[in-house]
Amino acid sequence: MTGGDQDILLDCEAVSCTLATSRGPLALLKDVTFRLGRRTALGIVGESGAGKSMLIKGIMGLTPSDITVAGRIGLDGEDMVAMPEARKRALLGRKVGMVFQNPMTSLNPFVRVGRQIDEASRLHLRLGKAEARARAIALLSQVGIPDPQECYAEYPHRFSGGMKQRIMIATALACEPELLIADEATTALDVTVQKDILDLLQALQGQRRMSMILVTHNLAVVASRTDELLVLYGGRVVEYGPTERVFAAPRHRYTEALLSAVPRMDEPAHTRLRTIPGRPPDPQDRPAGCPFAARCPAAEERCRQEMPGMTLDADGRHGFACFVPVPAPGPGATAARAEATS
Amino acid sequence: MSAPAAKPAAFPLLSVERLTVTFRRGGRAFNAVEDVSLDVAPGETLGLVGESGSGKTTIGRALLRLLPKGDTEVTGSIVYAGRDILALPASDMRRARAELQMIFQDPVSSFNPRREMQDIVGEGLEIRGVPRAERMRLVEAALGDVGFSLASVAGRRPHQFSGGQCQRIAIARALAVGPRLIVCDEPVASLDVSVQAHIINLLQDIRESRRLALIFISHDLAVVRNISDRVAVLYMGRIVEIGPGDAIYRRPAHPYTRMLLEAVPVPDPAWRSAPAARPAGEMPSRLAPPSGCRFRTRCPRAMALCAEVEPSLVAMPSGQSAACHVPHDEPAPAVAGSARRAS
Amino acid sequence: MTARSQDIKAQDLEAASALPAPATARLRWPRLKGFEWFAFGFVALLIAAAVLVDVIPGLARPNFPYGDFSQPPEWSLNGLLGTDPLGRSILSRVLHGARTTLGIVAVATAIALAIGMTAGMLAGFYRGPVERAVDLYANTMASLPPILVILALIAVVGNSVLTMMLALGILDIGVYARIAKGGVIAQNDRDYVLAARAMGASDARILAREILPNLVPALTAIVPPLVAGLIITEGSLSFLGYGIPPPAPSWGGMIASSTDLLSRFPLLVVGPILAIVLTVYSLNTIGDSLARRLNDRNRNL
Repeated sequence: MTGGDQDILLDCEAVSCTLATSRGPLALLKDVTFRLGRRTALGIVGESGAGKSMLIKGIMGLTPSDITVAGRIGLDGEDMVAMPEARKRALLGRKVGMVFQNPMTSLNPFVRVGRQIDEASRLHLRLGKAEARARAIALLSQVGIPDPQECYAEYPHRFSGGMKQRIMIATALACEPELLIADEATTALDVTVQKDILDLLQALQGQRRMSMILVTHNLAVVASRTDELLVLYGGRVVEYGPTERVFAAPRHRYTEALLSAVPRMDEPAHTRLRTIPGRPPDPQDRPAGCPFAARCPAAEERCRQEMPGMTLDADGRHGFACFVPVPAPGPGATAARAEATS
Repeated sequence: MSAPAAKPAAFPLLSVERLTVTFRRGGRAFNAVEDVSLDVAPGETLGLVGESGSGKTTIGRALLRLLPKGDTEVTGSIVYAGRDILALPASDMRRARAELQMIFQDPVSSFNPRREMQDIVGEGLEIRGVPRAERMRLVEAALGDVGFSLASVAGRRPHQFSGGQCQRIAIARALAVGPRLIVCDEPVASLDVSVQAHIINLLQDIRESRRLALIFISHDLAVVRNISDRVAVLYMGRIVEIGPGDAIYRRPAHPYTRMLLEAVPVPDPAWRSAPAARPAGEMPSRLAPPSGCRFRTRCPRAMALCAEVEPSLVAMPSGQSAACHVPHDEPAPAVAGSARRAS
Repeated sequence: MTARSQDIKAQDLEAASALPAPATARLRWPRLKGFEWFAFGFVALLIAAAVLVDVIPGLARPNFPYGDFSQPPEWSLNGLLGTDPLGRSILSRVLHGARTTLGIVAVATAIALAIGMTAGMLAGFYRGPVERAVDLYANTMASLPPILVILALIAVVGNSVLTMMLALGILDIGVYARIAKGGVIAQNDRDYVLAARAMGASDARILAREILPNLVPALTAIVPPLVAGLIITEGSLSFLGYGIPPPAPSWGGMIASSTDLLSRFPLLVVGPILAIVLTVYSLNTIGDSLARRLNDRNRNL
């Protein structure tokens, strides 16, 4: 490991998650490789079954016992796959905060809000009671809870979905994590509340100089809030790169199709949407080649036979796993586009 | 007459006047829907948008008389083909149901898991006593409209199909009885984007080919924009703005409509939504709605008048009606600006 | 337009042909464990014996003094469990007792299921006063000791096979009603019930076609343990002397009539006790096994 890697917080290399079934092993996630820099926001996008939740569970060491995680998941230079359970828990508890999709089930209804926030900081940071309390109240006010003192002593059911999600965020921040993972954290919320929460996450990420991973099925959510994007399909990374570049010039056929399947408000009513034929591959029989081959308009014979490797563009920041990628826009095209939209 | 701009040009197929739905729970009562009036013309799509608790689903179910009887009170009138649905005797209502159909959010749970697909799709026809041969012909035709053949679904049960496939079969089930209006309650909310586009296009095609009217209920403003001719925006059980989709999306008059539109994430990194001057906040309890305009507690433009007088729908110059004392009349910055994919 | 729908069609026919094989294979029984095989086998054998008891070749009549008094078990059909103090074959009496007991319990369960399910379904569907009445009945029955209820009934109408059937049936009506009610309430706002209503289905049709089929699995799992409970209750009544009048053989009655001699001839009660214990154990095991199957399936769906 070289000195340049100091800037890398999370480093996943060839991560695979395999489920043991009575009919043999089932690969839910295969060969996922990416690096997350410090103070960087990464969006992980995929439809249901793409493996995004599995990836997060793998990183957080939350995979059920019948799933084997292979590869390397480096957090701050330490490989967590090979690490003993207790050390991994301590490391994760200290460095990673997590916000789940459903605030109703991830907060314990029988424990007061304050204690749920304190718990982590007292355990991992060895804070005293008063200190932990002061900190929790400060956090609650930071995440926009109107009356933090009162909230501290309340039970979670007194709060609305949006407020609960704010409390969850406060809990996740309790140990000053270096990485905040939000797994579909705004999916269950109404748009106005979703915007508030996303704004909050974005602001916190900047203020606290953390890294952040936003996991979502909704491309729009990550568009203007992340620096980098990782697109998963059928358990594989099909494309990654700087968010703006992926949106402006997607190279993988799936990313491109997905982007144009989203209805847009700036188009007139009854605009015909582009559809993607077929449906995502069943994890029980994933094809040998590219997982998208069966639905891909440009697929060739070899797409069905072998999995394409990652092709990198000139500066090595934008990669895509496709034999017949969408042609890159001509030189200057990206700049012109950027100019037109700004 | 109160809102001339909200009326479609053609003779309405369905005309709702002053619909109010009251739920009673354990001694407490609240109006899930209050004083809602709207029309739907034949072949037209009316989008109903709103956040959870806005009453959109309740309206959809009230229109088809599908609300639970005991603790619910429905007043006002729902006139379909010259007859008030709310006043129809049960047997007449059962007959009328062939013309008024529904598609649900979760396609899988809208099918009885223990029945086979051909029976599910033919259910409405069987109830109407259509003989078997004729029934199978109609089922085949309806399935054909959604891209299936009878042979490909026969003998299979719902869990053998994906969500998108189930939703298409649900559409076929509704089509089989020959409806003139379908209430679609969040029909794409539980589907992946790639499948969602397919269903939206399909609904569009069927609407054209069968000249169906649709009431399309959704929380997703982009989807509603795509599919609707006219749009009604609901807040806490009331219509705050209603009118042609173009007018509402280009020049939203009600501050709530604006708040909603600005909150929708745009799939374009270049579009930086202005971080709101203040958080949008959350909807107050429905058991104790604010006095006057219900939106005033979250409204950046609220004045003293808003707490006293409940605004009623008034025609706006841009073509829609809005219930607001201080409506906007400038175009919305968000939608006018980004036009990346115009090519 | 036509081109487009053609297009859709082609895609989907292809997609549909790629569907997994019919799921009947997937919903088959999970593998039975050894003791479950025993339980199913034992109950099947007992039912067969109860039905065929009159035509089993060589089996003595239940009231025929076949051998000496209180003979210990020996290696012959009629003597397999020994003889009772009147010299009758205990095996024969156990099998005839099985016929009586199973017959009574089966009819009682049929009564309880028919009335309980109907009442429970109506209560869950219509709520209001129907539900309150059913709840009141179920709660009252649940709070009374079952033996007391039956004794009271016998005191009024006298004891006979018919009384036993009715009395035992009444005991379980409330339990089935509650389960049915819960199942209906859980389904009431399911979309498929709403969808059927939107199709114009009548209440009766919704109850019979949409709701009932989804109640059956839960009820099948609960029937065996409740039947086991009835067998115990019936045995207790017979033991107390309030069962079917002698000399008709019954398991409880056989145990009761042997108690005086128990210290000298302990083997007398082995047969009937074994019959009760194994039957009750087997029925409970079957219930667990059905419940497990139900859970597995719910997880799959």
